[in-house]
Amino acid sequence: MIKLRVTDVKQYIYCPRIIYFTYVCPVEKKITRKMEYGKEEHLELDRLEKRRTFKRYSLSEGERRFHQYLRSERLGLEGKLDMHIVSEGEYFPVEFKHTRKGPSLNHKYQLVSYAMLLEDYYNKPVRYGFLYIIPEKTPYPIQITPNARIFVKDVLEKIREIILKERIPRPNQHKGRCTDCEYRNYCGDVS
Amino acid sequence: MYFLTDEERKQLLKSYLPKSRQMDIADELRGWNWNQPPLEPVYDIKLALYEIANSYCPTNRDLFLRRIDGVKARPNAAMLRGKLLHQVLVDVLVRAKKLIYLHGVGNYQEFLQEHKIPFKTNFERYRSQLSEEEFSSLARDAEILANFETSRIVARIQEILIKQPYIAEDSLVSLAIPVVVEQKLDGSFLGLSQNLSADAFTFSEPMIIDLKFGEPKKFHRLTTTGYALVMEAIHEFPVNLGCLVYAEFKNGRLSVKKDIHIIDDELRQWFIEERDEKMRMIYEEIDPGIAQNCYDTCPYYRNCLG
Ligand code: SF4
Repeated sequence: MIKLRVTDVKQYIYCPRIIYFTYVCPVEKKITRKMEYGKEEHLELDRLEKRRTFKRYSLSEGERRFHQYLRSERLGLEGKLDMHIVSEGEYFPVEFKHTRKGPSLNHKYQLVSYAMLLEDYYNKPVRYGFLYIIPEKTPYPIQITPNARIFVKDVLEKIREIILKERIPRPNQHKGRCTDCEYRNYCGDVS
Repeated sequence: MYFLTDEERKQLLKSYLPKSRQMDIADELRGWNWNQPPLEPVYDIKLALYEIANSYCPTNRDLFLRRIDGVKARPNAAMLRGKLLHQVLVDVLVRAKKLIYLHGVGNYQEFLQEHKIPFKTNFERYRSQLSEEEFSSLARDAEILANFETSRIVARIQEILIKQPYIAEDSLVSLAIPVVVEQKLDGSFLGLSQNLSADAFTFSEPMIIDLKFGEPKKFHRLTTTGYALVMEAIHEFPVNLGCLVYAEFKNGRLSVKKDIHIIDDELRQWFIEERDEKMRMIYEEIDPGIAQNCYDTCPYYRNCLG
């Protein structure tokens, strides 16, 4: 089974062509300023998070664990999770996102993927996770539903298909995404 | 068939409803955002909702043959049976509503008298399309269905009348039969036909209901999802729930199972993906090829496999 990373899930949902440019026809991409900025904010947040209570997660107590590397042979997936909370025998993945638009679908399925990895790591079901939107300082609870898990597995399959068949997917419909995309120059048919 | 049992009501109130209200559906997947991606249709084609939601043919070649090659296949026996049993249910529910309005609450006994007259749908013109055995089984099942629904309605009315001595016709109808059957909807915002028809819709908590007489299939939930998106596009209110009603006849007995589900992000994305793929297939006239595992009652069997 082709090993994938959680970020692949996120990228696939943003635009499936990114998978093609990452695995089939690798091209160089630039680190954008937005990415650098995001990294700095993350570090600051780690520091602050350590001192905060769990109230904003609607949990009475718990323990934060940062940057856990997770891997599942079963899913053929790996990734490093920003943070997870262990509270009263339950596990809650938390992903920090620097976005002004609130949680988006690619973030949601990234979180679901981490939840699935966390389940394999602890051998316990995960029912909820949080997308922490940095500018709003708000954690959004996301339910890890059976359908969301199936969706992620489907995405993994589709990603593997792109890699195996070496076929370039159609461009995505969100033209706004192409404008922001680091691979825009390589996408010949996107104006 | 569309009325929930006490247990199902409880499930709805204690589980599905609160969950569906809590669940954040991505705004871009709400029907009212039909004017932007991903809901905005890419192609200028209109498809019937069943053409998007049905995936009986594994490659969707049936759709290609119908739309591109203009093949008009006759419905198979199961399709015909489903269509006619649907009609029986619609007839019974609409008759009951009509009779309440006609006789009024004061003449309840007259309502009972007329409502009890066995309901007979005339299927004669379909006789030639079914074998003798299929036809008599259909007639028998239609009768079971009509009788079941008729007595169900009487019980519901009586229950309301003993609680509400001052009730008038309109309120009685909406409490006893709180569904709109064959709700007509214009799906053009989403690239669907202008003349869609949802089996049933309940307003108390917006829920799309679809009745099935065959084996449950995963893709059946795409039907409720499609209607939910269309409803949201037209009325701009959230429709979070769907319910598939599976009816089965076994040894002269009717059994009904319900699949209540939340129209979540995943179902919405699945529906849109199906729509886009099928529209592309038609727009670009791409023959998806003959499936490797065709079902033997497929109406297009001859066209594909000679
Ligand atoms: S015969 Fe097979 S390929 Fe052709 S429409 Fe039917 S199921 Fe599809």
